[in-house]
Amino acid sequence: MDKPSPDNGGEFFHQFLDDYYAECDEHLVLIRRALGALEDEVGAPTIDRALLDNLFRSFHTLKGISGMVGLSAAEQLAHHLESYLRELREGSATLSESGSEALAVGVSLLEAVINARRNDQPIPSIDEITDRLQSISANSPSLPAQIEDSETEGSTGGRWLVEFTPTAELAERGVNVNSVRARLQEIGELVQAKPVVKGAGEIAFEFIVATDADQAALASFEADGLTFRRVAYEPAQRARDTQAVATLAPASVVRVDLERLDELMRIIGELVISRTRLEDQISSLKRETPPAAWRLLQETSLTIARQLRDLRESVMRVRMVQIGEVFERMTFVVRDLARESGKKIIVQLSGGQTEIDKFLVERMMEPLLHLVRNAVSHGLEAVAERDAQGKRSEGVLSLSAATAGERIIIKIADDGRGIDRNRVLARADAAGLEHANAEINDAALLDLICSPGLSTREEADRESGRGVGMDVVKTVVEELGGQISLATKRGEGTTFTIELPLTLAIAEALIVSVDGQRFAVPQSAVREVLEVESTSTKVLENNEIISYRGKVLPLLRLARIFEMNHERGEKFHVLVLGEESNAVGLAVDRILGQREIVVRAIKDPLAQSKGIAGATELGDQRVVLILDIGALRQFALEARH
Amino acid sequence: MPEELKTNNILVVDDSPTMRRMVITSLGSLRRVKSTQAGSGLEAIERLAIEPVDLMVLDLNMPDMHGMEVIGFVRSHQAYRDIPIVVLTTKGEESSRTEALAAGANRYLTKPFDPRQLADVVGSLLNTR
Repeated sequence: MDKPSPDNGGEFFHQFLDDYYAECDEHLVLIRRALGALEDEVGAPTIDRALLDNLFRSFHTLKGISGMVGLSAAEQLAHHLESYLRELREGSATLSESGSEALAVGVSLLEAVINARRNDQPIPSIDEITDRLQSISANSPSLPAQIEDSETEGSTGGRWLVEFTPTAELAERGVNVNSVRARLQEIGELVQAKPVVKGAGEIAFEFIVATDADQAALASFEADGLTFRRVAYEPAQRARDTQAVATLAPASVVRVDLERLDELMRIIGELVISRTRLEDQISSLKRETPPAAWRLLQETSLTIARQLRDLRESVMRVRMVQIGEVFERMTFVVRDLARESGKKIIVQLSGGQTEIDKFLVERMMEPLLHLVRNAVSHGLEAVAERDAQGKRSEGVLSLSAATAGERIIIKIADDGRGIDRNRVLARADAAGLEHANAEINDAALLDLICSPGLSTREEADRESGRGVGMDVVKTVVEELGGQISLATKRGEGTTFTIELPLTLAIAEALIVSVDGQRFAVPQSAVREVLEVESTSTKVLENNEIISYRGKVLPLLRLARIFEMNHERGEKFHVLVLGEESNAVGLAVDRILGQREIVVRAIKDPLAQSKGIAGATELGDQRVVLILDIGALRQFALEARH
Repeated sequence: MPEELKTNNILVVDDSPTMRRMVITSLGSLRRVKSTQAGSGLEAIERLAIEPVDLMVLDLNMPDMHGMEVIGFVRSHQAYRDIPIVVLTTKGEESSRTEALAAGANRYLTKPFDPRQLADVVGSLLNTR
């Protein structure tokens, strides 16, 4: 069993599980990056030494820390991967196509094992892959080592010997062996880094850097106690240990548990609420306070509001990670799938430096993987089919991300065969789903393929959607306050566009009222606000509708959903929600204003209700429910049938 | 300050931050001990230059400078020669046990390690200095 034995301090090491998962994630990212590069060297006469060293070390570390937390399947698997890497490194094996594939499969499984433990699921078996790795090592022809140092000789101008003497004062100023090395790596290639002891027993570091930089460039280092002189090229100085000098992460990075940041966000949220309360109180003082004094109060309150916004944005930035890491992971999945299916695929990435909230990215991982797998398995054609259609042989899958205001937009596009509407419609009929038959548009098509239980593929193809289906993709996106849309054209390809808020904890909202009760509607979900005359609604097949931009807009009465009375005034307001073609109007009595709200989940199952996403507090300490727009639109769709 | 009240500074060297935390927490049961950490061999030697170190817990397989070279460096210089070194390395490379002990490591432990055993070993080395 994969439970740590008590003599191993199993209980003790449980407290480090979060650190363990975080470090595993970091190494898996590095490993995937290295494997991608390594794949290009299959059959090549030489293999980049630094690449092998880095991979080896990542497996080695994963093995060590997995053993500590008692996850023996991960420990053993990492051990076998490490052993194969050692043989490659020592030149007693060569990297074959099957070896490269086994590495890729092994890494995927390693990740699955770690995730299974993280999610308390059964640990998958590793026997098949460890046997495979062992037999590959055993059958690999032994060749003399042909490993290439990453250093390229003679490509650079001169070599300098830089000497650095560390002191406590320098360390306090952030000048240390790591920062010096990083600076030297910026100006050239680090050939050597080694410690020496000077006459008086003083420790110093000698770096040899190959660089085109001149003396003037190096002179700026003098202030930090570095000395330098030009040296001749001496190949003998390239000792075994100095080749992989470029691997350490900068020491100035601090790792923080996401929960602590959540806590910080929660405190900021409370500050936002207190500030709102302060503003209300200041407003109520207006009449009894001298104007000058009141204005001062008001100004201070506004300053606090601005500072709070800055604080909130700073904390949000800390929670942000680059989406590039996720994209790289997708690239890896695409390689695997392409190899299995024999398709040729080029992955194009853009906007990888776009930042997204860590929580959002984790929730979006499975849905994005699903879309990517779908694109590869069903969207992109095999080489023969593409050739026959005069398309280039390689299918193109592009992943891009960009920010637009408070939203992040992720696109997954392929230039494959596009979604077959007729086939989707036929499946929908078979599944007994109702739909507008002819000329179904992209938005309606998306709604159909996201219906639970509808799969356009035969059983054998289900693989591609391991874990989640399109219905889950849509649900997750909507739960996160986002939207998904589709554009597809036969023979030309399919693009899914996902729009997400940058962060979840605090949102802009419209405060509306129905029957005297207030609700918050996330601003991001609202396309438009209309004022409607009560006389202009019509009833069609039991549904209330109004005309909107030359089309019909089904109305959803919030009062009816929550079984409340609504004011029968002459006019009411309608919030237009969702895509233009599939929009729904939410009828409310009144719009009270726009507020920044702090989103709280409702955890008590007794208080949970369909159509309610959470709760918030406004300044007057009364709880306001936040509407779940995804669920409300679902009501509208169901009502239509 | 009388010797018995001195706080011992333990330098924990490992490229895995999780592993460093595990080691440091394990040593938390010892009295009058504080820890410093380093993520590579070079960093470890920099720590030696900056502050007095009473004992090292050292991983072997690290980037930049292998643990064996750290042992070699420490043992070959007068000022650091007597610092006790506990090698704490991942199981599986048994040949390195003899090599590490021959190079001057005081004790050789493997990961996964038992926190109590590590604390006992470190504690006894500090007491017999």
